[in-house]
Amino acid sequence: MERTVTVVPEDGLHARPASQFVETATEFDADVRLGRADADDLAPAASMLAVTGLGVSHGESVRLVAEGDDAEAALDALEAILSTPEATH
Amino acid sequence: MAERTLSGIGVTPLSGVGSVVWYRPDADLPEPPEPEDVDVGSERTRFEDGRATAERELRTERTRTAERVGEDEAAVFDAHIQFLNDPQITDGVTEAINGGLPAEHAVQETFSTFIEQFENMGGRMGERADDLRDVRDRLVRVLADSERTDLSSLPAGSVVVAERLTPSDTAQLDPERVAGFATVTGGRTSHAAIFARSLALPAIVGIGEELNSVEDGAEVVVDGESGEFVISPDAERKDAVAADDDVAVRPDPVTTTDGVEIEVAANVGTRSDLGPAVERGADGIGLFRTEFLFLDRDSPPNEDEQFDAYVEAVEAFDSGRVVVRTLDIGGDKPVPYLDLPDEENPFLGERGIRRSLGPDATLFETQIRALLRAAASADGARISVMLPLVSTVDELKRARERFEAVADDLAEEGIDHAMPEFGIMVETPAAAFMADQFAPHVDFFSIGTNDLAQYVMAAERGNERVADLGDYRQPAVLRAIDATVSAADGTDCWVGMCGEMAGDPNLTELLVGLGLDELSMSAVTVPQVKAAVSETDTDDATTLASQALQAETKAEVTELLRETQ
Repeated sequence: MERTVTVVPEDGLHARPASQFVETATEFDADVRLGRADADDLAPAASMLAVTGLGVSHGESVRLVAEGDDAEAALDALEAILSTPEATH
Repeated sequence: MAERTLSGIGVTPLSGVGSVVWYRPDADLPEPPEPEDVDVGSERTRFEDGRATAERELRTERTRTAERVGEDEAAVFDAHIQFLNDPQITDGVTEAINGGLPAEHAVQETFSTFIEQFENMGGRMGERADDLRDVRDRLVRVLADSERTDLSSLPAGSVVVAERLTPSDTAQLDPERVAGFATVTGGRTSHAAIFARSLALPAIVGIGEELNSVEDGAEVVVDGESGEFVISPDAERKDAVAADDDVAVRPDPVTTTDGVEIEVAANVGTRSDLGPAVERGADGIGLFRTEFLFLDRDSPPNEDEQFDAYVEAVEAFDSGRVVVRTLDIGGDKPVPYLDLPDEENPFLGERGIRRSLGPDATLFETQIRALLRAAASADGARISVMLPLVSTVDELKRARERFEAVADDLAEEGIDHAMPEFGIMVETPAAAFMADQFAPHVDFFSIGTNDLAQYVMAAERGNERVADLGDYRQPAVLRAIDATVSAADGTDCWVGMCGEMAGDPNLTELLVGLGLDELSMSAVTVPQVKAAVSETDTDDATTLASQALQAETKAEVTELLRETQ
């Protein structure tokens, strides 16, 4: 199951949005990976190193790939974070 | 190799030559043992335990930061926890341990790879490299159980180079083996600077990031006068250091040209300050900072230990007064075994006498017992006691009552004791304004100019951005001093000064003119100040003081001082 999402937060996938993204990814059983929309390489969404290491900025698109029982729920939750302009507290 | 010079703030008029020893309290690791000597199973357990401890620490800091600073600032700790538990990192460390590295080396190696990757990406990724470094240092510290470079057993001729040196770091330095030190951060009144002066060590602070490029073992000259840190000095430069003659040491008390004796004493903290104080000709001790008996240990010193320290201090001098300041904890001086509260603004919080009359009442009582007993020792009549950060007459009276109650206890127990000369530090504007009300209750005032300048000018010590405001040459500071001295005029109360201002030989004439009876300073400048006293005429000094008190600006004061040099 996969989905392409535009990164809305001003900070891109850095700082708090990145933290929340990783935190959320670890809450699900599904194995979630992500990468730039145009790249083949995918990195584990549960790794802060991998997520911040992608260096994704505001306005770029990322591809999320999930496998597992709650894959759909995981993608929904992660998409919500990437679509929220200001990360909520 | 050609000479290269970095510059910072020189804090002592001394120079030294030596070899660089980097002090990195959080990153130094010993060489790892041979892989076959590493017990992989137990190293993996150590890593897991260390990771759990580090995570606990981070959660505590996160909560505290969220409460005290804000949710935004606390969020960085979430990122740290995620880096700490990142599968790529934990896998990397586990693999390195399996390959035969001890846990802390495995952590070091694994993080380095990622730090380098992030650094190479530059920009915002560079900031993540700093986060990773923070997490790594925390983990290594937890694992190594704070094993640090032992500052007390350095090779002779070491120039200690560090990001910063804390009071407990500098307290460990053995002045016999240290040729000087230099730090990346810090200002003229930072603790490191004050320590350098009291130990008479060449030192430069605030050199900046460039200092990080200096290699371990490099030969350097530390010129504490000009603030120049010279790497790979040429022969001429080194000879200049050797020829750098000090002003003559005068072991006897000095008078002005018209015969007024001014006591020139030393400020001391640790036992190792006593030697330099005597060698540089101090008449006595004008400020014995007893908190250093309490820092850098797991429990407070007991009564006998303190008694010994006070007796040792007074016996170090054949004559001359030893002014012991009671415990001045709080503010920026953390003590691990005291549960010091986190305060929004520690310099305005519960510190000095406020703690002694409050949460540290038991410690205060022990200290009073030791002091009253020391005052009854052979040389004990030369011991004086002063209270730090007094701002109301009520505080003074309550402290005095404690002394009297302890004297009664000792009398009842049949233990020898005596009531020493009793004074207060004048370091709050409140004490300066109220000096006439304090004077009848004390034997002396000692003006603590570091704090007095900070409080009068509302300019934080050690904050370089407001250093000009916090300068003791500000006319407002001079007026606070004048108010204190004038209030004591015509009473039996003598007035001394024990801040860094007292040790500035360019100000000696002005201070004599303001009417100070005693000047106490870091040992290193005692000879210069004694020389300045002996060249001062009190009539000229009084004229200078009255002009300075009428100055509109600090620049005017500085100009007056220049004219009279």
